[in-house]
Amino acid sequence: MSTAPHVKAPMDEFNPFQAMAQRFDVAADRLGLDEGLREVLRTPDKELTVSIPITMDNGKLKVFTGYRVQHNFSRGPCKGGIRYAPDVHLDEVRALAAWMTWKCSVVDVPFGGGKGGVICDPRQLSKGELERITRRYTTGIMDLLGPDRDVPAPDVNTNEQTMAWLMDTWSMHVRRTDTAIVTGKPLALGGSKGRTEATGRGVMIVTREALKKLGLRPENARVVVQGSGNVGGIGAMLLAREGMKVVSISDIYGAIHNDKGLDVPDVLAYLKQHKKLEGYSKAEHIPSAAQLELDCDVLVPAATENQLTSKNAERIKAKLVVEGANGPTTVLADQILERRGVMVVPDILANAGGVTVSYFEWVQDRAGYFWTEEVVNSRLEHVITSSFASVEETARKYNTSLRIGAYILAVGRVATVYQMRGTYA
Amino acid sequence: MEFSQVSSTTPQLDAEHPFATMMASFDEAARLASIAPDEYRILRQPDRELTVSVPVTLDDGSVDVLEGWRVQHNAGLGPYFGPLRLDPDIKLDDLRALAGWMTWKCALLGVPFGGAAGGLRIDRDDVSPAVLERAVRRYIANLHDVIGPDRDVFTPEKARDERVMAWIMDTVSMHQRHTTNAVVAGKPAVLGGTRHGHDATAQGLRVVATRAAERAKLGHERGGPSVIIQGAGLVGGNLARILHDCDWRVVGISDVTGGVYNENGIDVRHLLARRGHSGTIAQMHGDFEHLSDADLLLRPCDVLIPCAVANAITTRNVDAVLAKMVIEGAHSAVSAVADRRLRERGITVVPDILARGGDTVVAYFEWVQNRMGYAWLEGDVLKRIERFVGDAWESVVSQAQTRNVPLRTAAHIVAVTRVAGADCLRGLYA
Repeated sequence: MSTAPHVKAPMDEFNPFQAMAQRFDVAADRLGLDEGLREVLRTPDKELTVSIPITMDNGKLKVFTGYRVQHNFSRGPCKGGIRYAPDVHLDEVRALAAWMTWKCSVVDVPFGGGKGGVICDPRQLSKGELERITRRYTTGIMDLLGPDRDVPAPDVNTNEQTMAWLMDTWSMHVRRTDTAIVTGKPLALGGSKGRTEATGRGVMIVTREALKKLGLRPENARVVVQGSGNVGGIGAMLLAREGMKVVSISDIYGAIHNDKGLDVPDVLAYLKQHKKLEGYSKAEHIPSAAQLELDCDVLVPAATENQLTSKNAERIKAKLVVEGANGPTTVLADQILERRGVMVVPDILANAGGVTVSYFEWVQDRAGYFWTEEVVNSRLEHVITSSFASVEETARKYNTSLRIGAYILAVGRVATVYQMRGTYA
Repeated sequence: MEFSQVSSTTPQLDAEHPFATMMASFDEAARLASIAPDEYRILRQPDRELTVSVPVTLDDGSVDVLEGWRVQHNAGLGPYFGPLRLDPDIKLDDLRALAGWMTWKCALLGVPFGGAAGGLRIDRDDVSPAVLERAVRRYIANLHDVIGPDRDVFTPEKARDERVMAWIMDTVSMHQRHTTNAVVAGKPAVLGGTRHGHDATAQGLRVVATRAAERAKLGHERGGPSVIIQGAGLVGGNLARILHDCDWRVVGISDVTGGVYNENGIDVRHLLARRGHSGTIAQMHGDFEHLSDADLLLRPCDVLIPCAVANAITTRNVDAVLAKMVIEGAHSAVSAVADRRLRERGITVVPDILARGGDTVVAYFEWVQNRMGYAWLEGDVLKRIERFVGDAWESVVSQAQTRNVPLRTAAHIVAVTRVAGADCLRGLYA
């Protein structure tokens, strides 16, 4: 396999942001970037903290805190989600913003990375309170936003409705309808066709491309999918449609397995009706941890971070890992998988289908002209296949893994643009 | 004694919890004024805090990345307004405290601004002027979205910041593509700086000192109050000249090298003119005795005005103070414990937030003049300083009488009541 220098294991194996920072450092080393430029690329351009006073339903005033971080806009407006959660922390928002910079760069959409969040517990809030928080938060960060400056999107605990409120607040302030301010909107308000399934579709496309590289035919590939939501569920369905045999799917409670292949639409219909996989009769039920170690060709961790670690990486039987989730593989697991010859398609490439179609939504909003689903899907196909090819080529050129190849490609693109633009003032 | 704090427009900060410490006394004021918790809650955290990364090309061609911030505390009364601090050690919480302080100060002085504070982590003595200029310009360019004459106005922190203010004005103007001088105060006169920009703090002190002495009937028997001034620079020196011209007897004055004292009064105009030519007060000869700065504070006088450093009066010397009144010409010139002790001894303390209001008022005047494009004459500026600082004085005194509290508490009550009132009237947006 490769003779690439290994990423030094992070101090905390289970901190995905440390892992990202260290992968960045390896890429920067390979690119020979000087320290000043590295510092520019590591540091968020701007961080805004806003106080969000809201009248609660009981008439009392409560003050929430929100953030918006713009990591780097050398390549274009900042792009990234807004999350609502009690444990939102500025450090995490920073790291996620940087992550978006690399992701947008890997798939070469003309955006930089951003991220936002409000410290709140949406389960404790009424719809009216959520709307007021969203509107006041939007007003607070509005000076930084704009279709040409910073374009938010949904993230943890935010959805189409949140984006609609954001779009409306912005539009009221600029005194015209301006849909390109945010993506992930409902179709009726300038959303894009194909967005809901975009991340899953991207996962399917990179899996197909990776199988070609490995010389495996889709109909011979047995796939294990961890997760059954927007990424895992839709991803599994599209993989099955490509002829692959999806042998296992999971939800947060456990996994189901059928070596002859699951009827994915049937599983998803059951899940939709019963809210959990428990009780599904056409497969055997196994614990979540065992699922990852099933005998298969392709493993798609599409649920959450830190799933493949130093503790289980030796027992993974798949030849190919496709990271549908952000940060499912730790740095230590990466090293084990690489030694064992397992190909890992990294998150910043594998789940970039979402941001790509977000970009398409922005393009359509700016044009005021909307594409058919076929056009969206074929353009997504083009972006993801060509990105996969570039990452693969970079990895080959630098004799390294797809992960480090993706970081070299992403960081190199941002660095080149930064150097060409120069340091202002 | 180190006089490095001379003419800093911002208060001393607690090293550990600057914002919480600064707010504590205002929390107390809010409680005394029976302000509902809801009306005050918004003030417990700044409206917005923007952190910017400031990449700057150094003289050797390499790139360094500095941290910069702007904290906007409260917009209830109008545009944000506050200093830019250039300091390699500054922390975000320091800026929160300064921004909050500016909110209270503006409210007390009847200036229609909310508080803000900016910081750029740079050691100005360690970089070339060109690097400093590039850093300031990039910092301002990054903040451009949130600043402007109607949004957030910069003021200098130190007297030597005139050049920095000019760069800010130029950077904003280049981005706006028209001259926008109202975005910063403390500019050189030729770029729209106001008259009395240089002695604004001293002029404000004069208004407060005059009214306070009148109220306490000080110096009636000898034709004018006697005063000891610690500091002979922008604040202390100017104040000595101004009070001398108002028929006060300046009986003592000091600089870093030491002080002079004569109970019958010193010809400070002459003294300060010679000091300007040839160095220090310790070298002066005349009809006065030389003594240490520490001893000077303990000599008899009607009014003692420490204008040089924080903590000039502490538990160590408070009981030996012979003045009948102390006016804080420097921020935190009287320590918290000494403040209590002076009150017990029946010695009035005029607090910094009111006594040092002149600079804020005159910075506001500069903004007004820049907006209308018409510069006021010296007399107009002086008359209006008298009005603004005088009105603030009167409302503090009346609050102190009504509630039977010290002037400092009264000043805080006036400030908190005004800001909370404005926030309440405006209501919550969205």
